[in-house]
Amino acid sequence: MKIVKEAVAGTLESSDLLVKVAPLADDKVDLVIESEVMRQFGAQIRKVVEETLRQLGVRSGQIVIEDKGALDCAIRARVQTAVLRGAECKEMNWSALS
Amino acid sequence: MSDEIVFYTTDPHANVAEGAEIRQLLAQCDLDFEESIGQFVLGRHGRSLVACAGLDGNIVKCVATAPGYRGESLSLKLMSEVIHLALECGHLHLFLYTHPKNVSFFEGCGFYELAEVPGYVSLMENTPVGIKGYCGRLQKKREPGAKIGCIVMNANPFTLGHQYLVRLAASQCDWLHLFVVREDVSRFSYRDRFALVQSGVADIPGLTLHHGSEYMVSRATFPDYFFKEKGIVGDCCTAIDLLLFREYIAPALGITHRFVGTEPFCATTRKYNNDMKHWLQAADSDAVPVTVVEVPRTACAGVPISASEVRRLLRAGDMAHVESLVPRNTLNYLTHNDYVT
Repeated sequence: MKIVKEAVAGTLESSDLLVKVAPLADDKVDLVIESEVMRQFGAQIRKVVEETLRQLGVRSGQIVIEDKGALDCAIRARVQTAVLRGAECKEMNWSALS
Repeated sequence: MSDEIVFYTTDPHANVAEGAEIRQLLAQCDLDFEESIGQFVLGRHGRSLVACAGLDGNIVKCVATAPGYRGESLSLKLMSEVIHLALECGHLHLFLYTHPKNVSFFEGCGFYELAEVPGYVSLMENTPVGIKGYCGRLQKKREPGAKIGCIVMNANPFTLGHQYLVRLAASQCDWLHLFVVREDVSRFSYRDRFALVQSGVADIPGLTLHHGSEYMVSRATFPDYFFKEKGIVGDCCTAIDLLLFREYIAPALGITHRFVGTEPFCATTRKYNNDMKHWLQAADSDAVPVTVVEVPRTACAGVPISASEVRRLLRAGDMAHVESLVPRNTLNYLTHNDYVT
């Protein structure tokens, strides 16, 4: 899945996260994560985000995450939504979202 | 639920009654209403206005929460609303001006500080990769040499004065980086201004012509520059723009000298030149000072050449005089685009 335009999903409210995606000229994923709970859960958040991106087949893009202590399921859902919006996806591959 | 705070968007100019309420809330928070703000996100608790945040293009301004309602959750919700509103208008990349004491709050909303005038104002942007990415791209265009010059010009339009300044600066430096102000609010479009600069400096060796960016003399770094007619620019605005240049752009390209023409006519530009000497050279900063070289303007028949003078002559339909102030390509452009009235 290719990110072709800038997109956002989520909010800055407690227990949520804001995900911003943008196209990148280079063929790489540039992932920046900021979190209120970086020290305790930074590695886990990164793992969930990278896994979600891999399932969606995102190989290029700028991904910025402002986390406010969201649970893994919320992180996965927000990342999926932002990527789908940024990819202008019409045909949904539901199994990639599970 | 009576406890719930409802958020919605309003145009303060179309809705006079709400405009007055916003002014009142801002006054409570020691902020001034800014006329340039086209949209406000408002938060209401019952009938009373308890929070507001303005959006002026891609600049967030006038963020206020009523004193009794201050707490993380309301403000974060307000900022989320603004970010989504901006995106609907096509702006993912946002800037924000605030007092330095509020910087840590906005950091919690995903904003990062770009530059600070201690005690007065800070400029922030809502991405951790914005200016860093920009400087990374600039670094690839570094050129070797001990004396690296820079000129930032609006060239509205490109005159013989600009050409003289570029030629002189290039001859005094090992390399010259030339930027054209990107903001599209001048009489001549960015595309046309850039094209005229490009053809006007084509035969001058030892320089790189760059596109301008949001980080130099833009609506974001220097909001008042484009409203010269309104009078004197606030000190802080020029300071932010110049600090960004000194702390990010100059180090990225290894710039040691910034060249500028003396300004005999325009008060805004003259003030900018004076402020340049302070903020690039004298002011306290972790960044290395950049030497400001003020070059006396070249003159035509005793009168210094300036773009504002060219625009004045164009308005007066005085093509004969314009002809003596601009290079051939600019003249062709002006005559073929019906700028002659």
